[in-house]
Amino acid sequence: MEAETLKVRIKLFRDKKSYEVEYIYKKKFLDERPMILDVLLQAQEEKIDDLSFRYGCRARNCGICTVDINGKPRLACRARVKADDLISPLSTLPVIKDLIVKRDGIPRQMIGYNKIPSKNNLNVEADVPYHNLTACIECYACLDGCPLHKKNNLDIKDNNNAYPFGNPFSFLKLQRLYIDPLTPEEEKRGIIQKAKSLGLETYRREYKDLKIKCGVGINLKDEVIKPLLEVAFGDQIEKKNK
Amino acid sequence: MINKEKIKKLECDVIVVGSGGSGSSAAQAVAESGLNVIVISKDPLASSDTKICEGVMTVREAGDENDSEEELANNIKLAGGDLPDKKITEAFAKDSKIAYDRLRENGLRPSINKIRSTPKTLAIAMGGHNRSRSVGHKNSGLSFGHVNWDTIIKFKNIEYYEDCWFLDIVKNTSDESVVGGVAYDACNGKLLSIKAKAVIIAAGGLSTLFFPKTDTMRGNTGDSYAIGIRAGAALVDMEQIQFLPFCLASPPSYEGLLAGEPATGSFLGVIRDKYNKVILDSVYLRTRAECSEAIMRAVADGRGSPNGGAFLDMTANKKAKRSGKFFMEYLKSALPTAYNNARQALGKEAGKAEVPWEVRPSAHYMMGGIKVDEYGKALSFSTKLNKIKNIKGFYAAGQAMGGLFGSNRLGSTSLTEVAVFGYRAGNDAAKHVKKNKSKIDDSYFESHHRNFFKLFNDDGKFKAYNLKLDLQRKSWKYIGAARNKKDLLAMQNYLNELDEKVKNILVKEDMSWNQQLIEKIELQNMILSAKAVTLASINRDFSLGGHVRLDGKRKKIFSKPFSTLILMEAYNKLKIEKIERERTNFKTVLKYKINELYRLYIAKFIRILPDFLKDRIIEGKYKKILGSKAKLIEIQAGSLEAAPAEINR
Repeated sequence: MEAETLKVRIKLFRDKKSYEVEYIYKKKFLDERPMILDVLLQAQEEKIDDLSFRYGCRARNCGICTVDINGKPRLACRARVKADDLISPLSTLPVIKDLIVKRDGIPRQMIGYNKIPSKNNLNVEADVPYHNLTACIECYACLDGCPLHKKNNLDIKDNNNAYPFGNPFSFLKLQRLYIDPLTPEEEKRGIIQKAKSLGLETYRREYKDLKIKCGVGINLKDEVIKPLLEVAFGDQIEKKNK
Repeated sequence: MINKEKIKKLECDVIVVGSGGSGSSAAQAVAESGLNVIVISKDPLASSDTKICEGVMTVREAGDENDSEEELANNIKLAGGDLPDKKITEAFAKDSKIAYDRLRENGLRPSINKIRSTPKTLAIAMGGHNRSRSVGHKNSGLSFGHVNWDTIIKFKNIEYYEDCWFLDIVKNTSDESVVGGVAYDACNGKLLSIKAKAVIIAAGGLSTLFFPKTDTMRGNTGDSYAIGIRAGAALVDMEQIQFLPFCLASPPSYEGLLAGEPATGSFLGVIRDKYNKVILDSVYLRTRAECSEAIMRAVADGRGSPNGGAFLDMTANKKAKRSGKFFMEYLKSALPTAYNNARQALGKEAGKAEVPWEVRPSAHYMMGGIKVDEYGKALSFSTKLNKIKNIKGFYAAGQAMGGLFGSNRLGSTSLTEVAVFGYRAGNDAAKHVKKNKSKIDDSYFESHHRNFFKLFNDDGKFKAYNLKLDLQRKSWKYIGAARNKKDLLAMQNYLNELDEKVKNILVKEDMSWNQQLIEKIELQNMILSAKAVTLASINRDFSLGGHVRLDGKRKKIFSKPFSTLILMEAYNKLKIEKIERERTNFKTVLKYKINELYRLYIAKFIRILPDFLKDRIIEGKYKKILGSKAKLIEIQAGSLEAAPAEINR
């Protein structure tokens, strides 16, 4: 028999302390299979009126509602709840309050990365690999397991600092620019330079054991990291793997 | 009490509020002129409605050489029931191509029609357009989201603050010009006090008033309109909210999301009430408003579906022997995200269109907004002098502005709106700042600082979040997709009572991501926007476009079109004016009207044909649509000339 309620645990962060609270979700009908977001919304309505969490479109598009469910990053709007789930903030970014993490250290490391003039013929079509990359919703699930991002110091500084070390999202942005048919050849060196300055070398060393997962199913290793490594360091990786 | 340590003082040339399509275009224009910009965004960078939309954009001449500026401007004006401002529609038509190329320079990559060397348009003209000019994009709005993100990141003279709630524009109290703004930076726990000679409001719409009966971003809490009217601007056409008729009513996780459009109802789709009676036929030829009205009328009469909607029945399309399989292909490819929503939410049988879908309208887009001129300059209106005047340094763009669409929006036009008017506003703001050399005095900011710290209330009794939920329920009931005078007056009373409760909201003294404070700020903006919608709706006592009055008289074809104008006469007290609009000549209107009746007649004729004949005719139609190979990404309102039909309703 279906239960009428679902018990979950929510990890809150307040006054520099982190602690778990239990919330019992009341199903709206017996066979409802709620998402994590439904639970958070009900918890704010019924119990914790200042529960802090992000959400936007509720349809897996805007990429801002990512939280950790039992330690793994998931989009709250499209993750079904199971009994005893633990909902906690993304472990890969600094927590501000409850489930809110500070995200802007990631985009800030990319400021000025695409300062490329492209006043040439605009009626050129981009290939499929280019469009595969625009499917990215910037949910930051890919930070989990990234050996480079791990090196960043996550302490919050007052003046919005950029992270020095890269991550699959930033590399995706670079790769997209690299394969853009409108990017002039002479600019491509700069893109690779940027990738190297973000620590691409680390990916080269750890490529075989690299376990990064995209929140919307983009093949990050094959479509982002591998092609960047190939241009940046020649074909050494391929040879090694063979 | 003011706590100086909690205030961070900043200075720049132009503040842009919002980081979506309008905000990024505005920031680019200012940055290109060499001035310094601060972008303030409450959601993460570029996570806006532009990012989550269907990604189809209107580009003049993209699919048809005979698509003059005049043709496009007239198309918009006629569809909008003559409410659109002529100069604004002309600016839209003039700049659509150049705005699109700017996005392409920033990384937007459409498919190309190699023969014509233009971006490829969708297979059929849609959403009320009279020319083929809608360009679809892979990954829908996400492709635009990347471009907006890249645009803001590109310039070193753009500084951005996300997780930051812009509160109000600060003005010079003697000459009423803009001197800056104040914002709550939740992540850093500071009140930002920013000096700037221009502010561009590009902060989106108000659909969250109807949450969860909406398919848009959570952040649409009417901030644009509330900030705008508090800063002295007039709000135009506030009763004109676009509702999408075919959205999901259940289960809760999918509530409000798009399931289909009139066009995807296809040739044999009908709407039924709970007694299985057909309440609207030829759905594919109807406008969004017509479908919404049919559904909401049934609900009002107690004939609605269990979750307050009706049933979109497409089973006849599916059952047809020859054309059935083409229908399925069409349904799946025309609006892939909508179809997936419906299949996931309603189950397998529904996914095969073997059972009717329960649908209910959802709020989608605010067509009214801050009154602006064609450069995005915000305008005030003086009743005494009967004069429109611009507020120096105050601009609005995108969904925040009004006057472009009037009472009905053609499909795929909002992406063009944001790109065109964002950039125009940025451009003009830069010019304004360069001309204006005066120094900004600190004193104008003091009252704003005081007001901010007054928001905290440790002894408050009410919870802002729960008041917000109640307001959302009431908004749907009283000022939603169908309205009547009794409900509108009830809403007015309710909002006045709510104003009193707001004074007694609990907000703990905490600067770091204070959710209670955020909810209160947004609630106040929602209340003010709801007041404007209510007042405008009371004074528009007949149905027109997105505004459906179930108790309304039919509008006479000869009556003069007017727009509603909402003004603030005292703090939180609104009043209404009406401004006359120019009517399109009778001959043109009649032409459209006859055309529409003719098409409905043909549709009816096909329906009564014997099954085998009907099936063959429809099969031919599908082949024509699907055969072009171009993937259909979005299908909007009824059809080609459907929109102008609203003029006389």
